[in-house]
Amino acid sequence: MGFKLYREPDPAKAENSIMFCGWPGIGNIGILAIDTLKELLKAQEIGQIEPWEFFEPYKVTIEGGLLKDLEFPSNKFYLQQFKDQGLLFFIGQQQPSEPRTRYAQGQKAYQMANLVLDVAEKFGCQRIYTSGAAVTQIHHTAKPRVWAVPNNQNLAKEIKQYQNTVLMSEIEGRGDQGLITGLNGLLLGVAKKRGLDAICLMGEIPYYLQAAPWPYPKASKSVLEVITTILGLKVDLTALEELSQKIEQQIDDFLESLYKTEAIPPEIRDEIEKLRYTEPAELGPITEEEQKRIMEHIDELFDQGGRPDERHL
Amino acid sequence: MKDIFRFTYKAKFENPSLIVGWDKDAGRLSPKVIEYLNKKLNAGSFCDIEPVDFFSLAGVAVERDTAQFPECKFYYCERNDLVIFKANEPEFERYRFLDAVSDLAQHHFGVKHLYTIGGTISSTTHSNTRKILAVYNKKELQQELNGYGMEDMTWQGTPAISSYLLWVAERKGIPGVSLWTQIPFYLAACEDFQAIRATLSFLDNRFSLELDLKELDEQEQSQNIKIDRLRQEDSEINRCIGALENGQSLNQEEQLNLIKAVSEFLESGKS
Repeated sequence: MGFKLYREPDPAKAENSIMFCGWPGIGNIGILAIDTLKELLKAQEIGQIEPWEFFEPYKVTIEGGLLKDLEFPSNKFYLQQFKDQGLLFFIGQQQPSEPRTRYAQGQKAYQMANLVLDVAEKFGCQRIYTSGAAVTQIHHTAKPRVWAVPNNQNLAKEIKQYQNTVLMSEIEGRGDQGLITGLNGLLLGVAKKRGLDAICLMGEIPYYLQAAPWPYPKASKSVLEVITTILGLKVDLTALEELSQKIEQQIDDFLESLYKTEAIPPEIRDEIEKLRYTEPAELGPITEEEQKRIMEHIDELFDQGGRPDERHL
Repeated sequence: MKDIFRFTYKAKFENPSLIVGWDKDAGRLSPKVIEYLNKKLNAGSFCDIEPVDFFSLAGVAVERDTAQFPECKFYYCERNDLVIFKANEPEFERYRFLDAVSDLAQHHFGVKHLYTIGGTISSTTHSNTRKILAVYNKKELQQELNGYGMEDMTWQGTPAISSYLLWVAERKGIPGVSLWTQIPFYLAACEDFQAIRATLSFLDNRFSLELDLKELDEQEQSQNIKIDRLRQEDSEINRCIGALENGQSLNQEEQLNLIKAVSEFLESGKS
């Protein structure tokens, strides 16, 4: 079990690097943000985590009686130099999880977090950024904020300087506590154990969209704006903005159709619509009961059902 | 790795081939082929895999009125220099399972070739000769087995465990072939004796086993008579099978009705 690098770090440059990690998750906010940055910077693939001990293969290719390929979810590293810094990216197509668990947890997730950080340290990274979603009371037409969670107190002061970014203690009704599920959280903890700085940047997503099958690029854009400001990097986010607008229109149309057919009861519609005119800071905490009641209606609408039968060979 | 294997006998091999079959399969092909081989070759078990890392052991499943328990056993046939592995498909840690089986095959048994057995659901009919489609992990073995009447497969999709094992074996340098014998879709839930016979016939030829397949011939003949009787009794079933025999396809409802009717008729024991 390990990683494979196609390129070793340059000893002259292997210091002061930063790593950005993205995996699929709610609204694919993190992976879309990190992958977009990787693409904009034209980072080159430099290695991968060998996937077979973490994931099941999803595709076999057989041609003319010969087994040509077995494909697994990829977990790849990319590198680009920017000014005097190495920018290392880790993009995972899937999070490793134990049987019957939704998020990365357990031994395999811990092993993967360690492998990612082994590579980070090999390339002299002193700072790790992960990214994901913050499910909250926000309307999909509002600009999402970015919730930032550092793995040590010294970083909190720095985070307060970031634009459109809040710490847990600044979020109404949260106190200064919360839980970051999956690798985004685990990596922060393992980095802390190794004495590495790490920050998780989570873009806000409306709670009624957390089970939606489409991405939520508006929050990815908020995350990217924070990252590019930190790096002092000017990038063109027009494509992400256009995708955001397109998705927002789809959400509008989808909700409108549900309201019309009363697939969503009027009181739930009112609760969602109330968010349209509310500033994030004005919102009180949503109770578990309220959220459960609303999600009972919304989640089932997003339920995709079982996959069609496939022939397995 | 060693602690997952429990040896009960020290079997001796020279340069054996490993035949792998899984407990669940279309047409019950894989388990029936292995059971038949073990019975006819007097193969004895000599090693099994501890299930705890690979199966959910929260109670037992009950099937056909009997409590089931995951079983992964190796059998030996020294006379024919064969190792036979019959297993439930692991629920967890599939790579570790297949890697361990391949390691044992390579380093403990010195396996020369790997053969996996499986059924592939097809639109062929029970009256057609079953083809065996083959997938190799080495071109050399493909050339070596040319002349055994198998067809090369071309396919893309979700891998079955046999394909996964073939891939793991290839990484270790063990040449292997997956045999996929056609099963008419309406026999997938029953025993397809012709497919079982076709697969055993290949193994018989390949390893000069001198198997007596008369029992299967009789079962195949009896099954065909039953299906013919069903066709006489039920004109719609006759029409559907006739359409398939003429190369036409059935809609989903017709397919489901055909599967249900044939399965129930064969299980009811009418003759």
